[in-house]
Amino acid sequence: MSHDGIDLDEFRTGLADSVLREIAEHLAALAGSGATAAIDLRSLPLTNADRSELESRLGRGEVTVKLDVAGTSELWETRYSGVWWVRHFGDGGRIASERIEIAAIPQILVSHDEDIAAAATRVREEVEAHGSA
Amino acid sequence: MAPRETIGEELLRHGISRRALLKYSAYLATMMALPPMASRAIAEALANARRQSVIWLSFQECTGCTESLTRSFSPTIEDMIFNLISLDYHETLQAVSGAAAEEARLTAMRENKGKYVVVVDGSVSTKDGGVYSTNAGKTNLQVLKETAENALAVISVGTCAAFGGIPHANPNPTGAVPVSDIVTDKPVINISGCPPIAEAMAGTIAYLVTFGKLPDLDALNRPKAFFGDTIHDRCYRRPFYDKGLFAKSFDDEGARKGWCLYEVGCKGPVTYNACATLKWNGGVSFPIQSGHGCLGCSEPNFWDKGGFYRPLSTSTGGGATVIGGAAVAGIGIGVASALISRRRRTDATKEPKS
Repeated sequence: MSHDGIDLDEFRTGLADSVLREIAEHLAALAGSGATAAIDLRSLPLTNADRSELESRLGRGEVTVKLDVAGTSELWETRYSGVWWVRHFGDGGRIASERIEIAAIPQILVSHDEDIAAAATRVREEVEAHGSA
Repeated sequence: MAPRETIGEELLRHGISRRALLKYSAYLATMMALPPMASRAIAEALANARRQSVIWLSFQECTGCTESLTRSFSPTIEDMIFNLISLDYHETLQAVSGAAAEEARLTAMRENKGKYVVVVDGSVSTKDGGVYSTNAGKTNLQVLKETAENALAVISVGTCAAFGGIPHANPNPTGAVPVSDIVTDKPVINISGCPPIAEAMAGTIAYLVTFGKLPDLDALNRPKAFFGDTIHDRCYRRPFYDKGLFAKSFDDEGARKGWCLYEVGCKGPVTYNACATLKWNGGVSFPIQSGHGCLGCSEPNFWDKGGFYRPLSTSTGGGATVIGGAAVAGIGIGVASALISRRRRTDATKEPKS
């Protein structure tokens, strides 16, 4: 995005370096003790260039997931196992929440116990309805 | 009355998975500057909470605040707020009208006595008994007193409800006052702005539902999560201010190069709001990014400060100094007591000198 001579896409503040150092510490902790962590990227004054730099240096790994709940979300594991980029979109496709999660798997991907119980009921009803037809 | 379902139960009944709450929790944590790892605990708290009864009263206002909150056209993360609350009364949005509408308000007040939240947009007319703004045969003043009496808390959305706003501007023909001048015996949260940022309204309500307490407030009773920094502090043009590079008019070289708008009247340095970070219209832009200085619409008496295009360094009748001082003091004070902050607010909203 360019505005009157300021190109916000090109302006780097150096924050990408800082975030990478923080990720490195958290990932070492995950590897050592299993401690999970998260970094809220929206709370940091990242420019578009900073975000692009961070995204590029973390790269993309083997897993990419698209979520469709309360709007869309995109998650991917970076090329560093255990480092996940989690991006939730809001109204008009803007980024509503964006975080780096350092975990074996982001919490939002895990099926919740109550959802599993409700699904078990629903699928039983489906089987019974089909059987009585 | 049968107890309301928990939010988790209701979402489950509608086939919405717990992931929706986890996602909203991440969004809420971002908005309210909460620790990112708190998301899971927030989601659990929300799942076990009951929908918050909300009564929305519209007084001397333009409906811009409601427009700001409901501007979304497709199901998005922002809409989740409507799964967390039971909007029991809202004149613009409710389907019923007339006596049935008023009965809905009275029913919600009766069934949720001491637990409902009152949201007000618009200032309150007090002159001649408040006759200049009435609805259903009652003055706004009467309805506010009656509705707030057994409320848990009151949220004043928009600068009109928070500080009197444009109806309060000189010569204030209706005797308009902010809600906090009328409601003095319970918490009043101010979400100022003309209009306020939707996330600030939704985030504050969601925080109340989740934690059952008020968020940290500044000296003007505004949530610090949204009003903790000035526009100037978070402005992408700030480096030009620091270098002394200013636009002198709206069509000069400085304006074309995107330099700081301080000298063409920007009120960013004394205006506390989150426009520079959350932005508007789905995060597209905010006034300064569009080439116009901040008007200071989230501060008291912004309409009467001597001109939108006059630099702050010229006299503005003392208003800017008072506001800047009060707001800076607020950061040091932390969560101000209602009495102290009310006194400061009264100082800041006093009639400007002509």
